[in-house]
Amino acid sequence: MGISDMKEAKTKEKSRRIITLSVNKEEREVPVHDNETLLEVLRTKLHLTGTKEGCGTGECGSCTVLLDGQPVLACLMLAIEAQGKKITTIEGIAINGQLSPVQQAFIDHGAVQCGFCTPGMVLSATALLANNTSPTRPEIQKALEGNLCRCTGYNKIVEAIESVRNKA
Amino acid sequence: MKDTLIGKSVPRIDGPAKVTGEAKYTVDIQIPGMLCAKILRSPLPHAKILSIDTSKALKIPGVKAVITGRDAWDVRHGFVETPRYPADQYVLANDRVRYVGEEVAAVAAVDEATAMRAINAIDVTYEELPAVFEPFEAMQPEAPEIHPVEIPDLIGDFKNIGGQCSRSFGDLDAAFAKAYLVRKDRFDAQLRTHCYLEPQATVAHYDQGGTLHVWTSSMGGFRKRWHLSRTLKMPANRIQVHKAWVGGAFGGKIDLFSHEFCTSLLSIKTGSPVRYVAEREEIFSYYRHSQPLIIDLETAVDKDGLILGQKVRCYDNGGAYRGSSVVMVFLSWGFVVLPYRIPALDYIGYAVYTNNPVRSPQRGHGAPKIRYAVESQLDMIAEELGLDPITIRLRNARKPGEVLPNGDSIKNAGLLECIQQAADKTDFVNKYAKNRSLQMASGNIKRGIGMGVSAYFTGSLIYPNNSAAIIKFNDDGTAHLLTGATDIGQGAETVLAQIAAHELGLQMEDIQVIAADTGTTPVDIGSWISGLTMVTGNAVKKAAEDARRQLIAAGSKLLQAAPEELVLQNKRIFIKGTDTSVPFDKAIALHIEEQQGDPIVGKGSRRGHEKAEIGPSLKNARGAWSDSYAFDAQVAEVEVDIRTGQMKVINALTAHDCGFAINPILVEGQIDGQVSMAVGQAMAEEVIMNKGVTLNPSLLDYKLPTAHEMVESGHLEITTESYEPDQAFITKEVGEGLVSGILVAICNAVANATGEWPKELPIKITIAEEDWR
Repeated sequence: MGISDMKEAKTKEKSRRIITLSVNKEEREVPVHDNETLLEVLRTKLHLTGTKEGCGTGECGSCTVLLDGQPVLACLMLAIEAQGKKITTIEGIAINGQLSPVQQAFIDHGAVQCGFCTPGMVLSATALLANNTSPTRPEIQKALEGNLCRCTGYNKIVEAIESVRNKA
Repeated sequence: MKDTLIGKSVPRIDGPAKVTGEAKYTVDIQIPGMLCAKILRSPLPHAKILSIDTSKALKIPGVKAVITGRDAWDVRHGFVETPRYPADQYVLANDRVRYVGEEVAAVAAVDEATAMRAINAIDVTYEELPAVFEPFEAMQPEAPEIHPVEIPDLIGDFKNIGGQCSRSFGDLDAAFAKAYLVRKDRFDAQLRTHCYLEPQATVAHYDQGGTLHVWTSSMGGFRKRWHLSRTLKMPANRIQVHKAWVGGAFGGKIDLFSHEFCTSLLSIKTGSPVRYVAEREEIFSYYRHSQPLIIDLETAVDKDGLILGQKVRCYDNGGAYRGSSVVMVFLSWGFVVLPYRIPALDYIGYAVYTNNPVRSPQRGHGAPKIRYAVESQLDMIAEELGLDPITIRLRNARKPGEVLPNGDSIKNAGLLECIQQAADKTDFVNKYAKNRSLQMASGNIKRGIGMGVSAYFTGSLIYPNNSAAIIKFNDDGTAHLLTGATDIGQGAETVLAQIAAHELGLQMEDIQVIAADTGTTPVDIGSWISGLTMVTGNAVKKAAEDARRQLIAAGSKLLQAAPEELVLQNKRIFIKGTDTSVPFDKAIALHIEEQQGDPIVGKGSRRGHEKAEIGPSLKNARGAWSDSYAFDAQVAEVEVDIRTGQMKVINALTAHDCGFAINPILVEGQIDGQVSMAVGQAMAEEVIMNKGVTLNPSLLDYKLPTAHEMVESGHLEITTESYEPDQAFITKEVGEGLVSGILVAICNAVANATGEWPKELPIKITIAEEDWR
């Protein structure tokens, strides 16, 4: 019952305030409790359900979002900590309906199966390529080490990312 | 076949929704006014429930309903419900709990914290009973009784046997008497689990008109509706299971789960939508995993390694209710007899009740465990006889057209080619001999190569037994495909759209797939019995043929040409070999005009097995099992550090006969995923339990493979069937059979590196004493 007890203790805290979050280049005012995670706020208050919760304890990487371009786990971060930072979720990656090169490569290379890890994977890959346009295979594996996938064995995900080296 | 969509790596149609976060899974369904459900579970492995007091919980502000076994009628359910194996599990515990985590009560409240407070406020008084966790202990006559159960034909004086599958044929005594070599080994395969990334989740909404709407992360909505209808005592037309994308399943989301019933009943009781999402810790500790299996295997061979007979005993640690354990012990028989000729067999599989959580299928359902035993032992025999692993496999492998002991034909089985080509491509025999010669040489890093052979069935008869499909044309010549198929990530919707588009001369974008909704789509066998492409795919093909026939009839009038002269291409009807054509929309308009408004709707269907009346017997394995069987030979190369025990799979090759691949990139995706799952299962994964309590209930402690454990995975497709116009096609299973061969290939590769065969999974390397001192 450990996690549930923590959750209960957490919400006993009644503090509530309005904060401004910069999400996908939009300023969003949102009422939050101090103890609410960024993941809860994104999913239930801003209805950005593309960010997934696979474990809630920072193990699976399904909740990966970018904070000032760096991948973070939204389930382990409080929403109030994200104030003043640029948050990018999976919904902010395609521009005007145009898929990013990473997104397109995931489709073209069969890197998507059930799709539950895909948002986190795409964001981790996007962050990697922004810092390193030509990552080696071990560098890609390192960048994805916090994102679990049970469907693909990672092969086609890595191939997809390799295909957009120097393009993304 | 020019311009054909069949055999082409068409990108999956759900790709854009999934890469943008738009795809809605059950966990993403949000309905205004939705309540949160939580479940109270037994803290004890075996106890009588003396009383449940929910009064304090009901007084908490924000608590809308509390349910216990008293609210759930006297109704039981089971993965199997037959006269021999009647349903044995209540949806909420009645007077007794039989494992830690069994569901005792459920609440619906305005938010999660309130629901948890209510759960903690329910008082349950238990009287603890003695519990038993291991099959051999549970089978002793003096063991605590978990269920009063009688198997009329039980072989042996055993207790707590929930199910038994036995089958013998041939003269086993004679086989063992004339054998050149007999080997007897025990193999022990661990408790492991699916690790679907989307947690178990259900949203239920009982509307004012008396219809229950359900979204649930599952492998087949029609199977879920059947269970819900029986346990809620509601007619099927009043339960609509809606489509949501499914975040992985791997066998773990097909049974009825208590949370699905509770969420539904809580919605009925409150009139509000209710949502339940399991915590990852709950899934590891209390949900259904695969089945730990102990296998005693005796094999008699002649001096050339030809199998003369086998005696097999399987002991399935089946958990507190039957779950799928009684199917597991049937399937273990099946996966003994499928790949190799066995002239004489004595098989008994016992599904043993223990005070552990209930078991479910997991990718391969029996095959990975029994193949691990058979293929490991075959290599040991080869070693004793001085044969190489390839020779002994080629000697025993079934040939095309052979008939299985139950009467099924394996048709154009490509097993011999799989073995030979996998061996050739990897230079297997030379590498194997070299690695073996280096086992005793100096150096800590040893290399090994190993092969595993397996086979799998392609669909069978189990509820819902059949699939149907509807294709409806629109005025402009585009079409909708209505199918009950559930895409759990394997690409079901894409493959079915490919079949429909191909048959109708349409492009992928001309077909809109409406899927997995029990209210609007026809029945579907589901994504769990390994027959979706063949069973639902052929239903779609027939529906397309039906629509095409109507379209061509109209085109024939417009073009004044005989129907057999016409072909469909690019949304037009052409006279074969000419440029003369009419567009679909004109033919459809004519059809509407002449056929009293009929806009062209095509219908097709297929059964899970074309001819058999019922599925195979779980008691004695007799009767038809499947229309089509897939075969494979897989090779793994490993590196083992004998001083630290560290292992690494260097590469994997899968040679497989999947008939033909409708979408090769989707097939590759299935193979890569199974290779990865096998790497985890061979080397690291285990749900560790002590007296019914799970000790490692998290993805990290379970040791799921990460991107660092990615293995170079090669594919070698042996094509044995083709896609023909106007005929049912024969595809072969590809989504779960390929986890087995590679699993034992890794074991055999470790043995090739170290000289020791792993008798337990996950593999542990014995480290020489002088090395760890």
